[in-house]
Amino acid sequence: MSVTETSLIFVGIPAAIMLVIVGLVFAGNRGSGGPAKRYRPGRRFDFTPVWFLGRPEQLADSAGTALAAGAQAPALTSRKQEQAGVEAPAGGTGGASDRW
Amino acid sequence: MSRRRPVEPEAQVTVGEMQPEAGTGTPPQVLDGPFSTRQLLRIDEALRLADQGTGLVFSVYVGGLDEPIREHAERLHRQLAEPDKSVLLAVSPNQRRLEIITGKYARKRIPDTYAKLAALSMVAAFGGGDLAGGIINGLDQLASHAGKG
Repeated sequence: MSVTETSLIFVGIPAAIMLVIVGLVFAGNRGSGGPAKRYRPGRRFDFTPVWFLGRPEQLADSAGTALAAGAQAPALTSRKQEQAGVEAPAGGTGGASDRW
Repeated sequence: MSRRRPVEPEAQVTVGEMQPEAGTGTPPQVLDGPFSTRQLLRIDEALRLADQGTGLVFSVYVGGLDEPIREHAERLHRQLAEPDKSVLLAVSPNQRRLEIITGKYARKRIPDTYAKLAALSMVAAFGGGDLAGGIINGLDQLASHAGKG
């Protein structure tokens, strides 16, 4: 083996492998959303509000899609809002509250 | 490639399954939320499993709640199509509050003590900064307490 062949095998190949690994690492970081998109306790939470439903048609308004990320009180039609005002506040709801 | 730009495909799958006709022009804003695409998909999956397994309607709200917090969360709960059968998990990260609201019928399936248990474990995850994990765990717990419908 000549000197060039030897150096190609023992330097070139490891260097190529390292490059591939470094490339994969950076590609992986970029894919996973990055560090900015995270809630950290104690820091302000200024993300768009989101509301998840299994099936969007379950919203009384059939607006469905609008619910994705409504502002504070997601767009209610006026009809629905009137109803909400008139109807006795649904008694008998239960559940729990907690804080962290 | 800028990843913060709202891209449609994944987002729509998450917010509610398959809404091909959803082209209302506004790009889905879920991607501006605190969740990565992968987390959104997992939450969606958890919601779907919970709904299918129990026959109840689970939904999750993450965002600000006005004072009084409990009342605001109940108002959101009332906006659902079938409030009696619905369970709403309302998470307000700024106020560090979690509210679980169960409708009249859902309450029989998930007694308040169980809701409180689920709330405890969710809050533990939230305190560590893991919103998605807490939500998924909570959904799972509530659904398994509710049993088959």
